[in-house]
Amino acid sequence: MLVEQKIRAGLFCLSVLIFFLGLPFILSFSLGYKFNRHTFKFTRTGLIVLKTQPPGADIYLDQMPLKEKTPHTINEILPGTYHLRIELEKHYPWLGEVKVEAGKVTRLEKIILFPLRPNVKQLNKERLSLFWVDEEKGAFYYINPENNSIYKSDLEGEHFEPIAELLEIKPAPIKWRLSADREKLLYFNHHQIAVVSLASPNEPSLRELAFIIDYPKQKIVDAYWHSDSYYIILVGDRTIDVLEARPNAPAVTLVNLNLNNTSTFYDMRSDTLYFLDTQKAADGKLYDNLYKLDLNIKTFPLQELLKSKSNE
Amino acid sequence: MNKTRGLKRYLEIIPGFISWGIIIFIIVFSFWHPVLCATAIIIFDFYWLIRTGYLTTLLIMAHRKLFYEKDKNWLADCQGLSPRKDWQNIYHLIIFPVYKEGLEILRPSLECLRQSHYPKEKMIVVMSFEERHLQSRENAKILEKEFKNTFFGYLSAFHPDGLADEARTKGANATWAAKQAKEFLSAKLITYEDVIVSCFDADTCVDKEYFGCLAYHFLTSPKPHQASYQPIPVYNNNIWYAPSFARLVEISASFCQMIESMRLEKFVTFSSHSMSFKTLIDIDYWPVNMISDDSVVYWKAFLYFKGDYRVVPLYITVSMDAAYASNFFKTIVVQYKQKRRWAWGVEIFPFVVSRFLSDREIPLTKKIRRTFNLLESHITWAVWAIIITLLAPLPILLGGVFFSQMPIGYNLPKITGLLLNFTLVTSLVWILLSRTTLPPRPKDVPWIKNVVLVLEWITVPFIILILGSTPALEAQTRLMLGKYMEFYSTEKRRKVV
Repeated sequence: MLVEQKIRAGLFCLSVLIFFLGLPFILSFSLGYKFNRHTFKFTRTGLIVLKTQPPGADIYLDQMPLKEKTPHTINEILPGTYHLRIELEKHYPWLGEVKVEAGKVTRLEKIILFPLRPNVKQLNKERLSLFWVDEEKGAFYYINPENNSIYKSDLEGEHFEPIAELLEIKPAPIKWRLSADREKLLYFNHHQIAVVSLASPNEPSLRELAFIIDYPKQKIVDAYWHSDSYYIILVGDRTIDVLEARPNAPAVTLVNLNLNNTSTFYDMRSDTLYFLDTQKAADGKLYDNLYKLDLNIKTFPLQELLKSKSNE
Repeated sequence: MNKTRGLKRYLEIIPGFISWGIIIFIIVFSFWHPVLCATAIIIFDFYWLIRTGYLTTLLIMAHRKLFYEKDKNWLADCQGLSPRKDWQNIYHLIIFPVYKEGLEILRPSLECLRQSHYPKEKMIVVMSFEERHLQSRENAKILEKEFKNTFFGYLSAFHPDGLADEARTKGANATWAAKQAKEFLSAKLITYEDVIVSCFDADTCVDKEYFGCLAYHFLTSPKPHQASYQPIPVYNNNIWYAPSFARLVEISASFCQMIESMRLEKFVTFSSHSMSFKTLIDIDYWPVNMISDDSVVYWKAFLYFKGDYRVVPLYITVSMDAAYASNFFKTIVVQYKQKRRWAWGVEIFPFVVSRFLSDREIPLTKKIRRTFNLLESHITWAVWAIIITLLAPLPILLGGVFFSQMPIGYNLPKITGLLLNFTLVTSLVWILLSRTTLPPRPKDVPWIKNVVLVLEWITVPFIILILGSTPALEAQTRLMLGKYMEFYSTEKRRKVV
C-alpha cells in the first residue's frame, strides 16, 4: 500500500503541476493573449474567423500562405491591418483588407467564392418567350410564342411537357395568372381576358375549356383569380368587377373607382382585395386612401350577386 | 444547549450556501461580467480535466489491485501468520439490519456466508428485523430453521419501534442488533477485542474470501482496533437485469468507491463495512438518529481516538442489489432518492465540524484538512455536473454581442468542448474496466446485452445531470433550510432464476 500511496502522491503532484503550468497558457489563449518567448511578456492579440462558401479555400495573410484551409480561425494575431486573399481552384479569389483589433474577433463568415464558369443549365426543351414560377408546387410554366403552347416542367427542367394551347389575344397579354387549383390560366391585355385550362389529358371536359372575354367598356388594370378558382376579380380603371370564368359571363361591379389606374393587391389566402382610391373629404379636397374589399365567399354573397346579374 | 444548536444550524447552512453561491455567481456574472465568468468556467473545466485524469489513474490502480487480490486464498495467509496473531481467536459478528426485504433477498445473503471460505464456527450472525414490519417474525422463523445450525451463533433480533432518541434509521436497528450480540458474546465468554463486527446491508453477498481477507488485515494492521475495514461495494446481484442507466449509476458508484480506496487520507466507511467490536462499543455503537450511519460511525471513532483512526481498504468485493423499479420512470425516482440519501451524508459536516471546534486534542492541520475534504467533496458533487452541462454556455447566451466579439467569447465553446472531449476519453477507460467487474452473463440474458452495456455509456451526460448533481444539491438545500430528510429504504428487485 505504501508504494501505491507514493505513486499516488507523485501523481497528485504531477496533476497540480500540469494544472498550474497549463492554466496560464489556456487562459492567455482564451483571452487572446500571446506569449512572447523573447520578451517573456504576454501581448494582447485579436483573431480572424474565416468561413467561405464553398469551404476548403487557401488562405494568404499578407501574401504568406497558411497551411490551414477555410473554415479557419486565425488566432493570436497582433493588432493591425492585414491583406487577406482567399483562393479556391476554379473560383474567383476573394481579396480584402482586414483590420484586427486587440481583444476583438473579426468575423468574415459570409465569404462566397463564385465559380469561374458558372454552372448554367438550360431547362426548356422548346423555344420560349416567357416563363413564370409556381413556387408552391415547384414548377415552371413556359410559353412558346411560335406555336402558342404552354409547357410545364419541374424546377430542374425535368418532366418537360406541353400542357395547353393558348388563345391569341391582341395586343399581347400584359399579365398571366394561375388559378389556385393550378388548373386554369388567365391572361389579359387592356380589353380582353383569355382563360385556358391546364388540366391533365385525363380530364377532357376541363381540357377543352378555353375562351376569351371581351371587355370593351373600360381598360383592364389587373385581374386576379378568386381562391375558388372560378371567379375572376377584375380591376378596371373605373370599377372593380367580379365575373365567372365561363364564356360570355356578365361582370358585376362591386366598387366604383375615382382613381384611374389604381394600385391593387389581392391576397388569395383570405380573398381580400386591397386597393387605392381617391375620396372627397369633408373639407372638399380629394385624398388617396387604402381600402380593403373582403371577397371571402363565407362573408360576401358573390354567387347571389352573379345569379341575379345573369337573370337580368 | 442553544449555543450548540445555533452553531449546528450555521454549519448546516454552509455547504448549501456555497453550492448555491457558485451557481448564482455563474448566472449573475454571465450577464454582468461574462469575461470573468467565462474565465472561471475555463479554469473549472481545466481543473475537471486534470482531476478526471488523476482519478481515473487511481481507478486503474485500484482495479489492478482488486484484480490481483480477487482469488487470493486469504485464509491460507492467515494460517501463515505468527502464532502471536492467531486468527482462530477471531470471531466475526455479522449484522444484517433488515427492514422490508423479503426472503428472496435475505436467503442469498446468508447463503453467501454459508459458502464462504472461512470456518462457520467462527461466525455469529444477527438478523435484525424491524418489529414494526409485520412479516418479520415469520421470515425470521423460516431463516432460523434454514441457517441456525450453520454458524457458531445465529440470532434473530427485533428492533422495537419508537425507542427514545431514535429515528427510523438503519443505524438504530444495527445498534439494537449489536447490543443483543453483546449479551450473547458475554454469555459465551468471548472477549470483545477478539470480535470483528461487519454491518451489511440486507442484500449484501460477500465474496467467499471476505472473512479471511478481513481477518488477515485485522491481524496485520497496526492498531487494528483503530481502523474500519472497507470492502469494495459492487452492485452485481441483479446488474444484468437492471435498466441501462441504473446499471451505469451503480457501476460509477462502485468505481468512485474504488477511487476513494486509494485516497487513504480521505477514505471513510460507506455502506457495508467492518470494524472492531470493542471499538464499536467504546464509541457507543452506530448513530441511532442519523441517516448516514455508515460514515458517521467512522467519524465517531475518529473523534474518539482523537484523529488516530483510519479506514483500511479491502480489495475484495461485497455485492449488493442495483436499485431499480418496475418501469423506467419509477427507476429514475428510485435512483434519485437513493442518491439523495447518499448525498444526505452532508449532514456529517455540521456533526464533525461542531465536534472539531470543541476538541482540543486532534491536530489543527488534521482538522482543517478533513473539514476541507468534507466540504470540497460535497460541494463538487452538487455543482460539477450543473456547471459543465447547464451553466457553461451561459456567458455566450447572456453575454451579449460585445462578449461574442471578444476572443474569449469565441474561444469559450471551443475550449470547453475540447477539454470535455478529453474528459470523455477517460470514459473509455471506465467502459473497459466496467466490463471486467461484471459477473458472468446469466443464461436468460441475451447476448446483445453485451453490446448494450457498451452503448449505454452514451447516456452518461443525461445521467450525470439528473442523478449527478441534482440530488446532492437538493440534499444540501434541505439541510440549509432545516428540512431534514427521513430514512428512505431503497426499492430493489431481484429476479429469481
